[in-house]
Amino acid sequence: KNLYLFPEYLKDASKKMKHGLMFVKLVNPCSGEGAIYLFDMYLQQLFEVKVFKEKYHSWFINQSVQSGGALHFATPVDPLFLLLHYLMKAGKEGKFQPLDQVVVDDIFPNSILLLKLPELEKSLCHVTEEKVNPEITNKKYYKYSKEKTLKWLEKKVNQTMAALKTNNVNVSARVLSTAFFSSDQVASDKEEDYIRYAHGLISEYIPKELSDDLSKHLQLPELPASWPNPPSKKIKLSDEPVEAKEDYTKFNTKDLKTEKKNNKMTAAQKALAKVDKSGMKSIDTFFGAKIKKKTGKI
Amino acid sequence: MESRDETMMEKHRVHLRPITLRDAAPATLHLLPCEVLASRPAPVGRFFTPAIRQGPDGLEVSFRGRSLRGEEVAVPPGLVGYVMVTEEKLIGKQDFLGDSENNYQEEEREPVAAPEPLERDFDRFIGATATFSRFTLWGLETIPGPDAKVRGALTWPSLAAVIHAQVPED
Repeated sequence: KNLYLFPEYLKDASKKMKHGLMFVKLVNPCSGEGAIYLFDMYLQQLFEVKVFKEKYHSWFINQSVQSGGALHFATPVDPLFLLLHYLMKAGKEGKFQPLDQVVVDDIFPNSILLLKLPELEKSLCHVTEEKVNPEITNKKYYKYSKEKTLKWLEKKVNQTMAALKTNNVNVSARVLSTAFFSSDQVASDKEEDYIRYAHGLISEYIPKELSDDLSKHLQLPELPASWPNPPSKKIKLSDEPVEAKEDYTKFNTKDLKTEKKNNKMTAAQKALAKVDKSGMKSIDTFFGAKIKKKTGKI
Repeated sequence: MESRDETMMEKHRVHLRPITLRDAAPATLHLLPCEVLASRPAPVGRFFTPAIRQGPDGLEVSFRGRSLRGEEVAVPPGLVGYVMVTEEKLIGKQDFLGDSENNYQEEEREPVAAPEPLERDFDRFIGATATFSRFTLWGLETIPGPDAKVRGALTWPSLAAVIHAQVPED
């Protein structure tokens, strides 16, 4: 049993469909490795699946117990991030190519489903140069453009930053620690923290190289080495393919106090904390486990 | 049958049966602050639920001789929770193939691949068995409170929506 949170409109849309809702493994555009996505053919939308999991937790689900305490989140993802992975690869050849030649993936063959998203082709102008072949009507050819991509990503960072501010997300320990200084100082530091945090969030969806370029493009100053890791860095340190756990812990937590809190544990909490419970399942086991080992011809 | 190899893991799809999303009955959930190594039926309604008491500042229960303190957590508006179960056996393809696959594409597009059904006989199926809009969050001896990590997690969808919103044209 797995627990999922879906957008409510997905439930509404399900009333109109018999099938076309499926979990597939596609490339994670940041790591290049596989990740689970949910495809809705009716809404023509792609969702990413992240898992929240905290150690030492389990669920009671009605009259049953479920170990692990995981909660899966399916949230809409901009498929252009995934396409960018392929465009950057194809861009190394420096040619204009039709989209169906760009999205070629032997490891994740389900990536051809991306070509079924009609909105995607419209948004390609954000990240590519485009050519139309006058001889074949409607046949378009694309080439990755770093300049355009950086502009697009900058807009992404800006809109993310605006939302962080509106929602009052605590972006850094620094916000608190500078509260004692002049208000000017606080304001400017805060601004940088927001950009950095938003940059970190966007960087979850692009390759490292592009993330570094984006950082330069945004003119983010290098961090002094003495500074505690900014949230963006911490998010990146996550080594799980579905890294929800890591960045969630950075949300709404009161700066660095989380570690100190452990000292305040009650005796029972301490006793339980000592027990090592490693080896929790990742969502990958949800895929493939059943038929994985059936090799060979029948 | 065709050969099945490692790449199939990357190739296969797990189809979520849409009908199960609208028919699911509400489930009662508790998120416990301890590891239970088993996943199986348990007499929750006999031993756990009846022991829950409303204390001065939250719910109280005793579990495995330890005192737990709990509170209700609502799923944020716009979201709906599901308990999902993967179907054990591969279902024969006769049930799902043949009737109008790909019928949700709005128009003919460039031929990008040989027409292939969405559901193939090596695919698997998953369905919702229950739905939820809230759960009880338990802490060991103390109320989890606003700093509970799962509460932070629940803010993720609204942030993700902004990250993945289309940007305005130039």
